[in-house]
Amino acid sequence: MLTYQFDWSVVTSGKYFEWLVSGFKVTLQLSVVGIVLAFIVGLLIAVMRMSNFRPVRWFALAYLEFFRNTPLLVQIFFWYFGSYKILPTAVNDWLNSTNFEFAAAVIALTIYTSAFIAEDIRSGVLSIPREQMEAARSAGFSYLRSMQYIILPQAVRITVPPLVNQFLNLAKNSSLAMTIGVMELTYQARQVESYTFKGFEAFTAATVVYLVLSTSITALVHIYDKRVLNPNRAV
Amino acid sequence: MKKLVTVAIALTLVGLLGKAALAAPPADTLAEVKKKGVLVAGVKDSLPPFGYIDEKSRTIVGYDIDFIHAIAKKLGVKVELKPVTSASRMPQLQEGNIDIIAATMTKNPERAKQIDFSHTYFFTGQKFITKKGTVHTTKDLEGKKIGTAKGSTSEQNVKKAIPSATVLSFDDYPQAFLALQQGKVAAVTTDEAILAGILAKAPNKAQFEIPNVQISDEPYGLGMRKGDKHFVDFVNKTILDMEKSGEAKKIFEKWFGPNTQFHLQRTFKITADK
Repeated sequence: MLTYQFDWSVVTSGKYFEWLVSGFKVTLQLSVVGIVLAFIVGLLIAVMRMSNFRPVRWFALAYLEFFRNTPLLVQIFFWYFGSYKILPTAVNDWLNSTNFEFAAAVIALTIYTSAFIAEDIRSGVLSIPREQMEAARSAGFSYLRSMQYIILPQAVRITVPPLVNQFLNLAKNSSLAMTIGVMELTYQARQVESYTFKGFEAFTAATVVYLVLSTSITALVHIYDKRVLNPNRAV
Repeated sequence: MKKLVTVAIALTLVGLLGKAALAAPPADTLAEVKKKGVLVAGVKDSLPPFGYIDEKSRTIVGYDIDFIHAIAKKLGVKVELKPVTSASRMPQLQEGNIDIIAATMTKNPERAKQIDFSHTYFFTGQKFITKKGTVHTTKDLEGKKIGTAKGSTSEQNVKKAIPSATVLSFDDYPQAFLALQQGKVAAVTTDEAILAGILAKAPNKAQFEIPNVQISDEPYGLGMRKGDKHFVDFVNKTILDMEKSGEAKKIFEKWFGPNTQFHLQRTFKITADK
């Protein structure tokens, strides 16, 4: 009587399967929107971090230290519950009438991951010989244009492997969004568990889906890297 | 890449096997508990007055806890309390980490397939806590966001009663109530007795109320492992005796009666389930 009865049909068809699929869609949305935004913000912060203008550099440094050194879960709660205290009532009312749970999760994931991405890109930039920047500047490019056309394209190419890590982290960290009621994959797996008590099956299904998502991200970036960024990389 | 996938799959499998190979929980809990001299109970620790940490004594006390103490006394063993959540209590029981669940657990047919329940030791109904004057019938909540805690029956009931509502599940009731205070949800829903506990603790309780809108009956039972007949019989007999001797009524009055902030009427008696 006490042994566990496996029932895989719970997660392969019917209502609970649909829940998991809808959860996967939300996880996918969180991941894709998060990765795109985190990359853009990370790039901006990296450039600001290396700026010669001190206030901009200090801002970037504060941003990096603050968001890299606090737990993501705390940041999610901060954006979702904490923002209430500092925003005007009208804004709060508007936010509460929207899907603010999703937005707060995306904001937290974006900002948290962008801090790591910025540092990865910066280390890529530092590996580009100084002379390139000097040559670009003497050729008449402004600092930002030199970054845009000469330095960053090379730095990002070098940074691809660590960036994949950050993208994977973001995709997996999106599961924390369930703590504020975003119905993503882990949330739905838990729902299936509490409705059917088939937690083993539900979380196995979720594990497989995460595995597929993560390997797909790795594969996509790998292909893009091979075909577009570094056709000649010898790895 | 290929290697990576292989390694990942291998690790997953190792994890799965590891879980399956865990030691089986005892088949006869009654004998086992007597042998080790301690009854391990899974209880709530942040849910007054059922189970919460008393500020003075720094121990977990409450309505659920008093029942556990009474059962342990009858057994002549000591009590060990382990805090559980709505989502973790059943797996904890099934894996043998606890002997009995006394954690505001509603009896329902799905759960009864997985574990055995005692007779009903507390009876309540699911209601809502809302900002004052905003909700009079379930119609007022249609299309709104409603908060509750994960893994509880409250979630399923409210989806059935108000299908157009969006249910947001938080980790715990205090968080769900915070969302209500900030206007992120229009109501928090769960059993009335729990709502009364949340309201009693709220700093600005005058702004909130529990309107007379009930969407389900909630009989609470003590949870034990499936097929653990000796133990179930013993627990049932104990709580029936407690009803007869008046002890059960005394425990109710202690936690919910007129001398408390809840002022609940005892509308039920502990009787044998049909």
